[in-house]
Amino acid sequence: MTAPLVIQQLCKIYVRKPFWGKRVEKTVLTGIDLTLQKGKVLGLVGESGCGKSTLCKVILGIEPATSGLVQINGQDTAVFSTKQWRALRRQMQVVYQDPYASLDPRFTVRQLLSEPLDIHGLYRGKSSRETYLRELLSSVQLDPVFLDRYPHAFSGGQRQRIAIARALALKPDILIADEPVSALDVSVQAQILNLLKEIQQKRQLSMLFVTHDFAVARFLCDEIAVMHQGKIVEHAPADKLFTHPQQPYTQKLLAAVPSVKGGQL
Amino acid sequence: MAEPILQVDNLHLSFVSGGQKTPVVRGLSYTLEKGKVLAVVGESGSGKTVQALSILNLLPPGGHVDGGKIGYNGKNLLTLKPAALRQIRGKKIAMIFQDPSSSLNPVLTIGEQLTETLQAHQKISKSIARQKAAKLLTQVGIADAEKRLDEYPFQFSGGMCQRVMIAMALLLNPDILIADEPTTALDVTVQAQILKLLKTLQQQNGMSVIFITHNLAVAAQIADEVLVLYAGQCMEYAPAKSLFKNPLHPYTQGLLGSLASIHTKPDRLPAIAGNPPLPGEELPGCPFAPRCPHVLEKCRTACPAFVKKEGRYVRCFLQEGK
Repeated sequence: MTAPLVIQQLCKIYVRKPFWGKRVEKTVLTGIDLTLQKGKVLGLVGESGCGKSTLCKVILGIEPATSGLVQINGQDTAVFSTKQWRALRRQMQVVYQDPYASLDPRFTVRQLLSEPLDIHGLYRGKSSRETYLRELLSSVQLDPVFLDRYPHAFSGGQRQRIAIARALALKPDILIADEPVSALDVSVQAQILNLLKEIQQKRQLSMLFVTHDFAVARFLCDEIAVMHQGKIVEHAPADKLFTHPQQPYTQKLLAAVPSVKGGQL
Repeated sequence: MAEPILQVDNLHLSFVSGGQKTPVVRGLSYTLEKGKVLAVVGESGSGKTVQALSILNLLPPGGHVDGGKIGYNGKNLLTLKPAALRQIRGKKIAMIFQDPSSSLNPVLTIGEQLTETLQAHQKISKSIARQKAAKLLTQVGIADAEKRLDEYPFQFSGGMCQRVMIAMALLLNPDILIADEPTTALDVTVQAQILKLLKTLQQQNGMSVIFITHNLAVAAQIADEVLVLYAGQCMEYAPAKSLFKNPLHPYTQGLLGSLASIHTKPDRLPAIAGNPPLPGEELPGCPFAPRCPHVLEKCRTACPAFVKKEGRYVRCFLQEGK
């Protein structure tokens, strides 16, 4: 059985060639090796600027890789045509960080959720479409009466639920979640984390979960990869990483995480 | 009992837009004691930043003070003339803002920005102001300060910019420092450094600090006292130790319970149901009633009083009877 997502020796270098002067190369990712196992959650943790989001972009095909291999469900995406990418998007979807930016304010919830279905020609019958949309909304614990409202009528947590519903619309088996709770209010984060965990387990999703928050990673992830300056410095099962971090960088990060029970500085 | 340095009394603030008035802070009272750190904890829209801005009369356009008093040194800051307030703002009460890179002027060097503050309040020569600025930069842990005074904000990292902001706020040795989410935009390792730095400087200078944050763990690390805001009202106000050990208000309990931790892996997080009220939403009773697991019938119609209990304050009917 092939793993849903295999990354081997992935490099990403951004090149800038100014009109005058020398070309400037910036290496963002070097020699990334990662494998996401079926039905598991792989956490990608690191500080800002370490390359987490760039890695997501390469996996999603938004940015081309400079070298290395990205294999999704056994297929090498480097040689993909636009048509193949489109087909792949039924298998892989993404939830972004900021639901205030990721939902088109001029679309109703119905339009937001229908768009991926229209593109892929699914649930075309009026009544089957309606039933499916309602089902989708209830799967993220939102009331189906919200279908004809616009995003501005919702709070941050509700918007993120809509974004998750949209990502799930095509029934993907891989979900990329790029900091899905860091833009939310503290009292709402726990709800969304519970929802993501529940959906992941129910649908047996393979999930790449990007975060800068170790506590959140601990709750959700089976394995964790720690990134630093474009490299993976440590990759271990979650429990092991938290109890016995091997690398000095991981130890330093874990020691800096503030805790309510940690007491005063 | 330490002496109080800033007293906020029954503060009411609102925003007016399109002829409609939206209350954002509703009857807030607290006392900041000399040499203490008070953490103001709340979610977005709870009024934590707005109440701090009102202390220095920095409310954004549309912001109105509807009532209350902010006492400092026998004066009410809310009724002070602009010229008199200018003597206090920056000199006696200084503020650090959330996003360091957007709070610094990108076209002025760090040195120009630091000496400007000094020269606005003190009659000193440029070279002495520069020396002072360099000394403070060193104090906040920026190496090679003399040289870095001539650099621009873009040459500094986020953490370094925040250090510059702290240095700028401390230049005139203020009595009170208001820090509005000073570490939210920073990485955890940098956050830990900045918190440690703030605590050290606060203890050295005997400064009082109002520390605004949405992060309870950060508050636990730095605060002597904690004020929990929800929908513009104070829910609980207590010494940090007792608040984190034994939270009395269901909202505080819920918040603390719902936090993920790096030490345990529960199957589910005990989340608080529902969403925080939107600004302007009608709240006849306790603002937390729609989400409260222990809600009583009267919670929905009447707002409980802010009662004192064993040296701490809480706004909840459940605590009134006990």
